[in-house]
Amino acid sequence: MPNSQAPDSVSAQSRPHHPHSRRTFLASTAVAAAAVAGGGPLLTGCGAAESTGRGGTTSGKDLKKLLPTYVASKASEPDIPGRNGSSPGFTRVPEELTASVSGKPGKGGTYTAYTPLWGTPPPKDSAYYRAVDEALGARIQWRTQDGNTYGEKLGAVLASDDVADIVCVPQWEMAGRIHGAISAKFADLGPYLSGDKVKKYPNLAAIPTEAWQMSVFGGRLRGLPMPARPLGGVVPFYRQDVFEKEGYEVPKSPDAFLALAKEITRPKSRVWACEDMWWSAQIIFGCPPEKPYYWLERDGKLVNKFETDAYLEALEWTRKLFAAKVVHPDAVAGKANDAAVRFTSGQSLMMNDGDAKWYGLTAEQKDVNPEFVIQAMDFFGPDGGDPVIYQGAPASIWSFLNKKLSKAQIEECLAIADFIAAPYGTREQRLVDYGVEGEHHTIRDGAPVKTELGVKEVVDTYRFIVSAEATVSYPDHPQVVKDYCGWMQRMGAHMRKPLFFGMQIQEPNRYASLATPFEDLAKDVVRGRKSLRDVQNAVSDWRKGGGDKLRDWYAELLEKNGSGV
Amino acid sequence: MRPGTASAPERAPAAPPAPAPGGRWHRLRRDRSLLLMALPAVGLLVLFVYVPLIWITVAFKDYDPYVSGLWSSPWTGLENITLLLEDSRFWDAGANTLAITFLQLVLFFPVPIALALLLNSLLSERLRGVVQSVLYLPHFFSWVLVITVFQQMLGGAGLLSQLLRARGYEGFDLMTDPGAFKFLVTAQMVWKDAGWGVIVFLAALSSVNQDLYEAAAADGAGRWRRMWHITLPALRPVIALLLVLRVGDSLTVGFEQILLQRDAVGPGASEVFDTYVWWVGLASGDYGVAAAGGLVKGLFSLVLVLLANKVAHLLGEQGVYRK
Repeated sequence: MPNSQAPDSVSAQSRPHHPHSRRTFLASTAVAAAAVAGGGPLLTGCGAAESTGRGGTTSGKDLKKLLPTYVASKASEPDIPGRNGSSPGFTRVPEELTASVSGKPGKGGTYTAYTPLWGTPPPKDSAYYRAVDEALGARIQWRTQDGNTYGEKLGAVLASDDVADIVCVPQWEMAGRIHGAISAKFADLGPYLSGDKVKKYPNLAAIPTEAWQMSVFGGRLRGLPMPARPLGGVVPFYRQDVFEKEGYEVPKSPDAFLALAKEITRPKSRVWACEDMWWSAQIIFGCPPEKPYYWLERDGKLVNKFETDAYLEALEWTRKLFAAKVVHPDAVAGKANDAAVRFTSGQSLMMNDGDAKWYGLTAEQKDVNPEFVIQAMDFFGPDGGDPVIYQGAPASIWSFLNKKLSKAQIEECLAIADFIAAPYGTREQRLVDYGVEGEHHTIRDGAPVKTELGVKEVVDTYRFIVSAEATVSYPDHPQVVKDYCGWMQRMGAHMRKPLFFGMQIQEPNRYASLATPFEDLAKDVVRGRKSLRDVQNAVSDWRKGGGDKLRDWYAELLEKNGSGV
Repeated sequence: MRPGTASAPERAPAAPPAPAPGGRWHRLRRDRSLLLMALPAVGLLVLFVYVPLIWITVAFKDYDPYVSGLWSSPWTGLENITLLLEDSRFWDAGANTLAITFLQLVLFFPVPIALALLLNSLLSERLRGVVQSVLYLPHFFSWVLVITVFQQMLGGAGLLSQLLRARGYEGFDLMTDPGAFKFLVTAQMVWKDAGWGVIVFLAALSSVNQDLYEAAAADGAGRWRRMWHITLPALRPVIALLLVLRVGDSLTVGFEQILLQRDAVGPGASEVFDTYVWWVGLASGDYGVAAAGGLVKGLFSLVLVLLANKVAHLLGEQGVYRK
């Protein structure tokens, strides 16, 4: 899969399972310092202001000083330029691949990398790794872990003394005190990248500023980001081929969706209308996104997602789908990981997933089922009008460099990262995403197509160290690029930024697990095991248990740092 | 980091014997080869059971494994225990655990005994071997596989439902029914592990003197009387021992099996002590509260095992240990 798609797919898949960012730790030394001045109680342990557990964010002048200067890349022009905030699309490969890095960036060092991996693990010693390492002039020793259970191991690994040199941490795995671990264990990259210093690494300089902005942890620039597309997290897919064959009309309102779903569902023929649509429902009814972007400002007051009517309406609509038995029974049983299999085999015709599935399933089904066409339906509002869609975070996966590395080693790692961050249309990008021509891919109609060896060996791994600006570039399936970019542009017209957009926020420890019960509660409500009344009770428990104090904390954050809108 | 308290007492005798008046040195010399032989086991026990017990202190600390570590994390007294006891999810987990424990004891425990008796009555060695292999096999399946098999058979889109629908009946979905969940997990357990549990009982049965059966048969005892007066009394010590061990372990009702089905029926029906500890500790990072949960569970298990042992003694059995 080219171009960093796996992680997106995962973010949508895993989010339902691992959004437990709870006891987050500390953040900006600036906020902590302000707390000291205000006489706030501080737990002085190892002396650093970073271990206060008070949380916060970094913004304004403090932030500007940290951010790398943006220098756009001149590698290639997209044939579908960005509109309404959409990512640029590439349907073709440029005639001539350019080189964005001269010589070998590495100096012969060897580094361990701890990263997630989705799909079948490639062989440890492969021609692909050897070829990329050769071009890097350094060796990466991979310690990959299954992406779906990555977070369960990450915590223990970070607590040990044997932390890898390069460690990838996705946003949705920052549960518990991982934020604190990041500040404690990983290097400050500011001295190497802030301001004009980044110009030494032109491909890193071409990473959008808002992605870097999300990479500030504990008041320091620590992360190497994987920039994300603005609306990639939740896409409502449907089987266009089956819809056309059966004459189904793509629904344009929640009611129409439910009516169509009833029409589609025929258990006797093993066909159900949809998978669990809870993530789409939240967008349809205009819910704010996940923590920490779950606040709205209404009449000068902060309102949490859980307190909105939109949240209740989304729950109620999803409950109706479950009650009407139009949701595939395996999805009711919580087997979300196999949703795509049920979708491709025609057992369910609509599902929401990350945008990566668009290309991923198209490529996967091309030979197995040539008629298979996956398409995204346009989001609609609660009454069938325009939806309100909140923009996703500009980056939600980072890698970090171990604090124990020497200055020279960090510089070598950054040079390696610069190579990996090469944008679309460069020789470096081709090598990282497709391996060696003739061995891992061949050129068919001007587009690279992976060989059997390529499919086996070239799996996204280097991408988890760093990535270039997010694009939509599938020259082997140009129609997917056109469809996806078109969808993104149409949806982009209704896109809004959440209140704290682009800020890397750490809630104080004591509030960190406040939102936890809602995740289970939502699952119970849509399956009819609990009622909306229970949700309202949970909201009042939430308020009493610290939700109101958390609101004050965010209000203060808003006053101090301004909004991200 | 579950404290190994429950299993500690039974292993305690492995420690060197208490000094007897007068002859400590003499006894040390006399038993030195035995003591030497016990040393590696004691070493392992200390290293892997007693040393990790230090982490019990996590239950009384605001533990942060990344920044401050075990030693410098601040003490918080009983705060974690208070938080734990105030958490309704913990009590729900406790209730579910006890319910599943009870069901397992009643519905699961007798199954291997019955199977062993049945197998023992099979005369054909070959048939016995085949049946035994078929029974053992599911033990080697992972829980993921077992639950997938159940989902494919009894789920809403499963084989049975589809068969019913093909014949014009309504389908059903056993896998998402919170009311049936506790029976379902017990059934899964029986399917997976009952065959495996047979082994111990078969071993005990093989030691029964066959002459007894002949003599009883000669005296006119029928099949049932022979089972009641010969077979079952022979199994009694083993049954008592396994029962006590099972009770001590009873709060451990299955972790992976239940976690995998959590979303299907919701935490209200499925949360047990172990999944609660995992959820709060590993998934949410509240290590202190999770450790407190594990500690409470460990203490509870200790009480249960002591009680069960006492009951075994009252029934005239050896139990796991005797003072």
